Amino acid sequence: MTTTTEKAATVAKTGVPLAGFGKLVVSEAKLVLRDTAGVVIPIGLPMLIMLMNGMGSDGEGIPEFGGLPVLDALIVPMTIVMVVALVGVVNLPSFLATYRKTGVLKRLSVTPMPPMLVLVAQTVVSFVQSLIGVGLALMLAVLAFDVSAPRSPLLAIGVFLLLAATMYAVGMLVAAVSPTPNSSVAIGLVAFFAMMAGGGGFGGRDALPEWLATIGAYLPYGAGIDGLSAAWMGAAPNVLPLVTSGGIAVLAAGAAIMVFRKN
Amino acid sequence: MTVIAVDALRKSYRDTEVLKDISFDVERGEIFGILGPNGAGKTTTVECLSGLRVPDSGSVSVLGLDPRKDRARLRQVLGVQLQNGMLPDALQVVEAVELYRSFYRSGADPDELIAGLGLAEKRKTRVSALSGGQFQRLAIALALVGRPRIAILDELTTGLDPQARRDTWRFIENMRDSGVTVILVTHFLEEAQRLCDRIAVIDKGRIAALDSPLDLIKKAGGEPRVTFRTERPFDTTALRSADGVTSVTTHGTQNPETVVTGSGNLLLTVTTVLAAQGIAPLETQVRSASLDDAYFALIGHDAKELSA
Repeated sequence: MTTTTEKAATVAKTGVPLAGFGKLVVSEAKLVLRDTAGVVIPIGLPMLIMLMNGMGSDGEGIPEFGGLPVLDALIVPMTIVMVVALVGVVNLPSFLATYRKTGVLKRLSVTPMPPMLVLVAQTVVSFVQSLIGVGLALMLAVLAFDVSAPRSPLLAIGVFLLLAATMYAVGMLVAAVSPTPNSSVAIGLVAFFAMMAGGGGFGGRDALPEWLATIGAYLPYGAGIDGLSAAWMGAAPNVLPLVTSGGIAVLAAGAAIMVFRKN
Repeated sequence: MTVIAVDALRKSYRDTEVLKDISFDVERGEIFGILGPNGAGKTTTVECLSGLRVPDSGSVSVLGLDPRKDRARLRQVLGVQLQNGMLPDALQVVEAVELYRSFYRSGADPDELIAGLGLAEKRKTRVSALSGGQFQRLAIALALVGRPRIAILDELTTGLDPQARRDTWRFIENMRDSGVTVILVTHFLEEAQRLCDRIAVIDKGRIAALDSPLDLIKKAGGEPRVTFRTERPFDTTALRSADGVTSVTTHGTQNPETVVTGSGNLLLTVTTVLAAQGIAPLETQVRSASLDDAYFALIGHDAKELSA
């Protein structure tokens, strides 16, 4: 080469400014808020179902539930799981699949912001949305039906965190395998209803064939309900389904990241 | 000073060899055009520059950096507009620019940039509500917000109406005037001729020619032409033997059309010869040689559909 070539040393070594990630989270939050259906349904629907169940129950303690009414021991845990599952498995993938399909991630990959951090930002926003949804549902439960606090609050928090991690991981996998944004909503809904049905979301697992009930108990939805029930009753949780749920979280997240990387 | 050095680039997707042998250098501060028919390898070439793709062999150096190994450093100084790089629909113009600004250590003031690109009135408009031209201006804003030293623009004006295209050209010239080196991928010949300091014509994965627009035209042997009609056919012997005339073709019998190509002051030569024969030409047109002629000479007629 006859001409001078720019020296690499003149380009300063730089990374992603932390402020950039903060801005990304705020931006994702605004986008989630502007998607009205995505805000209202995951928060409103579970509360509505809880309200209807609550109005029909007599609030009498049941011995099998450690003396707690059905509402405390079962309905409230089901409501919490439903909020987290709707946000994680239906809402989250609809955003991520759109970003993947429309080139949002590709455009980011030529900026200093790694596209993977959008997934993280969306997860942060989803987590906050789940917290708000669960917070509102609990408030309603306490104000309207005088539902008691869980007897093992730490277990309740632990199960909630595990549940959130699992649902977001499954949501990311749904986004990763969906060929189009629309199909991600379809796949997400099918995954949601399958887990909900197996987990006893439609009138309890007793109504299911035994083999299906067993599978459902080990899937994140059922494991979450049982774990939260145990927390409310102050009983010892069934550990194996929770561990399985954690394993599903790790596998799903790993698979999702692999698929995202490949594209 | 060379800011981009590309040497013997090769890249295949499955069985298709997209890039066969691409080499070129880009100097600081120029608008470097990459021109070629669809599927010639233009986008793959710039994707190798921005680190989105890894070439099978050959080397790429951008500002002395390897686009793959020095990704993080390069991202801070390279502004890229992708052919199909999008933004979330519900994001507002100002939010998008401020968001992208936050990714860079230093950069332009978002509001100044938005105003400079004529988007001040659209600050609060959502991406989904922008017109094609407005969206492309936003794309320019995002490519420039980190104050890059090199900007890669891939088919920026495709799909724009003529007015929006001309406005965009002005922004690209402003960009160059502010010291940014611009890589412009296009399939519009007029755009390349108007904007580019040098043009690499890529065809079937190879560089077919690399020169300034004027030299490309000269080397391809493009000549000015004079076209006129006459009331009836006439003897073209005198015209053929006139100084500077290289070819004369006539077609039609009723008001036949004659096309004369050559060099020098061709129009004066033609009118002088015709006057001497007592012939009055009608509908006389003069057309200087353009990049179109050079381009089609290089690429061949199978690329004609691009002449739009």
